[in-house]
Amino acid sequence: MVKKQLFVTPGRCTACRNCEVACSFVHTVNPMVPAEPRVRAYILSETENTVNLCLQCEEAACQKVCPVEALNRNERTGAIEVDLERCIRCMMCTIACPFGNIQIDVKLNEIIKCDLCDGDPACAKFCPTLALEYAETPNPDPKPREVAPLPPVPWMLFSKPPAKK
Amino acid sequence: MQLSIDGKSVTAQTGEYILQVAQRNGIEIPALCHHPAVEPSGACRLCMVEITHADWGGWKGLVTACLYPVQEGLIVSTANEKVRKVRAGVLDLLLARCPESELIQNLSRQYGIEKTSFIPRPEPDLCILCGLCVRICEKIGASAISTIGRGIDKIVSVPYETEENYACIGCLACATICPTGEITFTQDEQTRSIWGRNFELVYCEDCGIAIGTPEQLKHYSERSGLDMSYFTKCDRCRNREAAARFARITF
Repeated sequence: MVKKQLFVTPGRCTACRNCEVACSFVHTVNPMVPAEPRVRAYILSETENTVNLCLQCEEAACQKVCPVEALNRNERTGAIEVDLERCIRCMMCTIACPFGNIQIDVKLNEIIKCDLCDGDPACAKFCPTLALEYAETPNPDPKPREVAPLPPVPWMLFSKPPAKK
Repeated sequence: MQLSIDGKSVTAQTGEYILQVAQRNGIEIPALCHHPAVEPSGACRLCMVEITHADWGGWKGLVTACLYPVQEGLIVSTANEKVRKVRAGVLDLLLARCPESELIQNLSRQYGIEKTSFIPRPEPDLCILCGLCVRICEKIGASAISTIGRGIDKIVSVPYETEENYACIGCLACATICPTGEITFTQDEQTRSIWGRNFELVYCEDCGIAIGTPEQLKHYSERSGLDMSYFTKCDRCRNREAAARFARITF
């Protein structure tokens, strides 16, 4: 059986940051302390955008450097997950990762990395351009797709109401 | 295998300890010297539980949950009167040793002890001699600290307390794991100080934030087999750099 993988196609990314928001939403435990996103979108130039998130390396530097075996691969999803009970916050994984994709959430004092949302990545679900997709093979047709609409934002949150047309 | 903890039937694997199984099943047993990252040592004696077995002819015994391996049909009680009494005795002693520790004070209060019945130590610190710092240091591979002396003079220290004998790498694992906050460190822009030694700092090549001490990074590099070039930048700078590299590959 072909395992589903999270495919990243930087050419399709518009840096809309839906992925960051979705990631933060699903990893937040206490709504008063929103979790840091595990995925980051970057605007590099006028035409270049990309996302960066954990690649779940086969020979992972973070896993090699961990002194207490707190980083273990979930065989079902293929993701390397952090065991926060074992973790002693030595931060060496965050330094050793060549892609900077394992970081510390300073507010929560937790090591954070992509855990593929236990086999159902929220970032891929909310990516409108298929720059992130969770599939067995990447979709060759980069047609924008319909994503679930975000809930309406009350306009009082903004200082100025939108101009009426 | 099946065993019973406080009347609840739970499943366990051979080689597991009572405390591990209880924690996994949401049964709380207080423990001070326990951390999943290191081997249990049974130093604090706070996780005492009473065990018995249908085949033991009514024999009952008090054991430390962190060190007692599970077995088929074991009956464990974690909060009966006898267990509470023996834990209260342990906490009474710990409170005499560390009367200023908030952690010990709170735990004692849960067991009905406001004030120790012993004479408190005249010059108390916060160390309960649980040995977590020693065990984590050994696990990391530095083995820089150990308990020295015996009896009432026993303390956790670096060998001979002189700077030449230092194996400490300044990784702060001991300070992080210390349950009572006895092990402290200071860090400013230039130095990190722990165990009476000042360490230089290595800074991120791009943004300049401190990422560790040279000894620490060298130790982790040797330990993991990763080249020193892995230990030069902070996570955020690496992330930005990697993103730019990705874009260049595909555009």
